[in-house]
Amino acid sequence: MTARAGVLDVLRARVAAIETSSKPGRVLPLGDPRLDLSLPGGGLPLGRWHELIGEGLEAEDPAAVTGFAARLAAALSAGDGEMGGGETVWVFRRDDLYAPGLAGLGLDPARLLFVAARRDADVLAAAEDALRAAGIAAVAAEVEALDLVAGRRLQLACERTGATGLILRRRRALRAGEKAAERAEATAAATRWKIAPAPSRPEQPGFTGLGPPRWRVELERCRGGRPGAWIVEAGDGPHPLRVVAELADHQLQETPARRVARG
Amino acid sequence: MNAAAAAQGLAPGWKLADALAVLPGLKTAPAEPDAEAEALQALCDWCVRYSPAVAPDPPDGLFLEVSGMEALWGGGSLLADLIARLAAQGIPAQGAIAATPGAAWALARFTPGRPLPSGEGFPRTGARDSGRRSARGAGAALPPEIPSSSPSLRERGPSFSRGEKDEADLAPLPVAALRLDPDTDAALRRLGLKTIGQVRALPRAQLARRFGQRLLLRLDQAAGDLEEALPYRRPPAPFFERLAFVEPIAAPEDLARAAGDILEKLCAALEARGSGARRFTVTFHRVDGKPLPLTVGAALAGRDPRRLARLFAPKLETVDPGFGLEAVTAEAELVEPLAPRQAPLAVAFPGSDEPGKATDSLAGARPCRRTGDHFAGTRSDAGTAKARAMKAETGAADLVDRLKARLGEDAVWRAEVNESWVPERTVAHAQPFAPRSGRGWDPARPRPLRLFERPEPIEAIAPVPDDPPRQFRWRGRLCKVRAAEGPERIAEEWWRRPIEAVGPARVRDYYRVEDADGRRFWLFRAGLYEPGTPPRWFVHGLFE
Repeated sequence: MTARAGVLDVLRARVAAIETSSKPGRVLPLGDPRLDLSLPGGGLPLGRWHELIGEGLEAEDPAAVTGFAARLAAALSAGDGEMGGGETVWVFRRDDLYAPGLAGLGLDPARLLFVAARRDADVLAAAEDALRAAGIAAVAAEVEALDLVAGRRLQLACERTGATGLILRRRRALRAGEKAAERAEATAAATRWKIAPAPSRPEQPGFTGLGPPRWRVELERCRGGRPGAWIVEAGDGPHPLRVVAELADHQLQETPARRVARG
Repeated sequence: MNAAAAAQGLAPGWKLADALAVLPGLKTAPAEPDAEAEALQALCDWCVRYSPAVAPDPPDGLFLEVSGMEALWGGGSLLADLIARLAAQGIPAQGAIAATPGAAWALARFTPGRPLPSGEGFPRTGARDSGRRSARGAGAALPPEIPSSSPSLRERGPSFSRGEKDEADLAPLPVAALRLDPDTDAALRRLGLKTIGQVRALPRAQLARRFGQRLLLRLDQAAGDLEEALPYRRPPAPFFERLAFVEPIAAPEDLARAAGDILEKLCAALEARGSGARRFTVTFHRVDGKPLPLTVGAALAGRDPRRLARLFAPKLETVDPGFGLEAVTAEAELVEPLAPRQAPLAVAFPGSDEPGKATDSLAGARPCRRTGDHFAGTRSDAGTAKARAMKAETGAADLVDRLKARLGEDAVWRAEVNESWVPERTVAHAQPFAPRSGRGWDPARPRPLRLFERPEPIEAIAPVPDDPPRQFRWRGRLCKVRAAEGPERIAEEWWRRPIEAVGPARVRDYYRVEDADGRRFWLFRAGLYEPGTPPRWFVHGLFE
């Protein structure tokens, strides 16, 4: 039995190595085992790019998605040395980011570069350039659409320097009567998250004010990991997020191999 | 004045009536000092192809500092080239090269055998209208409105032995060549001192007593004993290179190669001085005389020709060669001392094409291209923390330069605190590598992540005027407010408007509200509550 388990572990490691494009690199632990266990390597993989999506209102004026991205970027660019540390570059088309709000989420304005571009192609080119430069820890880019070729280029750029990309899918403002385009499903992202706002609780019972902001975070696709959904808050400590609840109603997609192994 | 008029005996300085008496058929035009000054400035700019240090000498002269420039021309033919070109443009000119500006001025205007001495305020003849039109046109052709310009060239260099040769040259010139005021000039002539040689032979103390210090000043300036400061059109850039082409070029790859070559020369000069520059200007000179400048700025001082060539590459496409480009000049401005950076021997350079700013030969350890993961290990082993920090800083600066060159100067910025309560005005755009003020925004006042450019009006229902709304309709959807914080009152900055226009009503009461879905808004009510008028509510931003 133990020999079989050992052989299975070896096989699992081999399959994981095939599934991910190269050796699992460094990761950013997100602060809670419930989150980290769903991600390959125990945290958000660095040196890859990740896709963040919002629905409805968030698709056009992303606030919760931006907050999530800002928390991750703050954790990535804080400190110096091996574990990230560097500049954050935020590339966008519509200039409505408000720096005091980003500073409130922990993104140091002295390490944040804003880049304004005119078209999606320019945004992607600037993001790729930034990912390839030395000294950049995280690049956040707001694009409407991203095809497989662009995704592959971003992936190659990330792998060169070990910077992490956060791609926020943001639709431009629809004119009256226009319908939103269908979102293409296949991307080369390492993980894909869907963020939505969630009602918050006041810090102490009895307070009438607003508590810390909460998001409903759904990990839709993850290469080498497990999808899941959680309610998270912006964490206070060294970790970027704090899980408040794990949503049990989300159906986990279990692969047959794992089901057999558990039995 | 032109040569034909001078042949008839006219000279500058004559009264108009006298001139008409001599030549009834004289064509006259009113003197336009402004247009002439403009034309002189244009000529000054055109002369940059010869030397970056050009100073106008109103009303009709130019000083060019050409020390060392004759090496680029091979011999003293710089002057001949300049005069030939001016003549081709229709501007008769005369010039001289000397060791001091004073001597050059004198030699240019007063050497015997020259056709026209200069003067001021004389009636102009010649094509006035066509000159002005061409001056205002594309700026390509030179304005032929200065019929008798006499650019004087000044040179300071070892090939001319100072002192004796100049003295010998200057001695026979009339005293007017010393740039004196008319009284001194007349007094000297009355005394019988007609040439500079005679004046110089007199004892200095007596000259000073009789004519004042100014005469001695001019004498010394001409001889080179006193320095003279010229009002250069642009500050003389010591880093200036020029390349001329045997045949005019127009092809893009030739342009790129020429730019690369001249940048290499310029950067070698910078390196020899241990400096780097933050702004580089490469100017292509067209055959028809029009200069096409291209400027590239850098966030950090640098002197890497390959990086600069890459920054110039997109701008080369905007160059319109016309009939061809015959010369290219490059200069470096905002020069700062830049110590050579020694690259650590064994540090690999993941992902960067150029070996950073290291200019010494140790950087010849070529970086090997591998995947990022491998380098994750190498980086920590080989490089010291300082080397890493240095590489990170140059990497970010390179990125900023590339993005600015591609997307525009204003496209890349950092956010800096602007001391203002008004939310729209509290963020200032700062240059990415400018020193930071160290201030931050007030952490006790939470601010939204997204701020709308214009606050969007909403319909809100608030039970009590001072309370946050219970529900509101925004962009067509109804939001029920679950919790709210506020109000935070932000009033207009009354000191910005005239005191009469300031009123008590321009305030905004901001609330942070959260609706049933968890979305958070930054609302405000504009103005104080007035009974009878419904209050106006707006959404200004979205929180996370």
